[in-house]
Amino acid sequence: MKRISRRSFTLMAATAASVCAAESLNAETVVRRLQTELGGDWPSTGPDGFKAGDPAIVVKGIATTAMATLEVLKSATKANANLVLTCEPTFYGRAEGRGLDDPVLSAKHEFIENNRLVVFRLRDHWQARKQSEMATGLASALGWSAHRVKNDDALYEIPHATAEETVALIRSKLNLRGGLRAVGDRKAAIRRVLLHPGSMTPAIMWQRYSEVEMIVAGEVREWENTHYAADMFTAGEKRALVTIGRVVSEDPGMRVCADWLKTVVKEVPSQWIRVGDPYWRPA
Amino acid sequence: MTANEVVELIKKNTPVPWNEGSRRDRFKAGSPEVTVNGIATTMMTTFDMLKRANAAGLNMVITHEDTWWNDPDDTKDLEENRLYKLKADYILKNGMVVWRNHDHMHAMKPDYTVVGEFRSVGIQGGESATMRPGLQTIPETTFGEFASRVKRVSGFRAIRCVGDPQARVSRILLGPGYATPRMSPEADVVIGGEQQEADGGFDDVEYVLDCASLGKPKGLIMLGHVVSEQAGMEDLANWIRTFIHGIPIQFVPAEEPFW
Repeated sequence: MKRISRRSFTLMAATAASVCAAESLNAETVVRRLQTELGGDWPSTGPDGFKAGDPAIVVKGIATTAMATLEVLKSATKANANLVLTCEPTFYGRAEGRGLDDPVLSAKHEFIENNRLVVFRLRDHWQARKQSEMATGLASALGWSAHRVKNDDALYEIPHATAEETVALIRSKLNLRGGLRAVGDRKAAIRRVLLHPGSMTPAIMWQRYSEVEMIVAGEVREWENTHYAADMFTAGEKRALVTIGRVVSEDPGMRVCADWLKTVVKEVPSQWIRVGDPYWRPA
Repeated sequence: MTANEVVELIKKNTPVPWNEGSRRDRFKAGSPEVTVNGIATTMMTTFDMLKRANAAGLNMVITHEDTWWNDPDDTKDLEENRLYKLKADYILKNGMVVWRNHDHMHAMKPDYTVVGEFRSVGIQGGESATMRPGLQTIPETTFGEFASRVKRVSGFRAIRCVGDPQARVSRILLGPGYATPRMSPEADVVIGGEQQEADGGFDDVEYVLDCASLGKPKGLIMLGHVVSEQAGMEDLANWIRTFIHGIPIQFVPAEEPFW
């Protein structure tokens, strides 16, 4: 597919919108509607925006996902959802550093073009919602919705269990394969859990680990938060840090996104497509 | 001999020009004027590792990774942190001193972290590897069988793999720690320590998943950051023994943190 410059894209989109807005819903119109609903600034330099496909395409259905892998795009096509809203990048990295000469990247572009899909990245603005559905979605998937301590915090007070038992519950509820890793005291009595989908910085860890018995995060860096949790364990603290994988941690929040879309875009169906745990452990 | 004198000897014997501007390779805790009774080399100055070094009478720690849970070992936000006080106190009370050697180890030829990583995963021919060692060819096998062998040989607990276990593989690209190399058209398998899963430099998790969808034989093996570079710290201890004599020099591994 020919890459379209942002300027010509804007012109094309504006023209397309004025021509077909009355009779059908194109991707540009859907996106403009959800931008209005979500509010905030949408700078062209931000991560959110169209990543592939023609924004003038008439939308038949919307799929939300944590990461638009080829498997997800195939499922979307089968489900007749041709606008895909993805939390993570589509073309391998923040900088999209692989060129069109890369066979995997070009095959993905080709799949999108052949199946008349449009991919839009929706990350910052969905995460910025004060309802913080990325966290409440994860809590709901874990069966902890009723245990939220405060409305404005992702802190949950769960029924008593050891760290090991809580990890087993997380594995089973989220259908995990090999991505979960835990550090700290296996026998710790867990009561307060902080949920942190996505990537967790050391500053948040230093501030909040002592308030809870467990942090469940998407991913951390090993020399930062994993190191901190290991040292806390050596210091005799009865806590545990559990990382479940970045995409796995974002899956449930993008499910809530599909539910929200149903209230904002009523003309076409919206659905969530799960990515699942990408990792397995060697035998 | 003081810790400062140990460091001066290391700088003098390091076969690359010393970069005094490195924010990593400097003292991290304790006094450089402390008399060294013994040296412990380690991958990361964990609290557990510090206690074992102290029990072995080794009061100078030479660490590859950080001590204070962030890469530049910035402690300005940690002054009131309970764990920081506990660990800093332990170092001070026991007359210990911590110095980091990261950037210069990776600049050396060979890069001991990579030499150690090849040895850990059971791939021959990595004895003179640099930080970017290039492709190594192994007899063709399935990705699943290869990953199982890596697990068996290394004994690492928390190895994570992405990709089709049935993929036929033979060309291996390996890198240390966070310097996990990007999957290339020539490589079948990338082995690394750690890498941001998505929205990072090159999102190889997604790339390898897409390769599997397209039937392209590719695999990703994430060993864990600490374990990937750990073995090379024994090579560093052996190297230091060639020019520092009369005090014990030992490799004291950091614990593999994951269950």
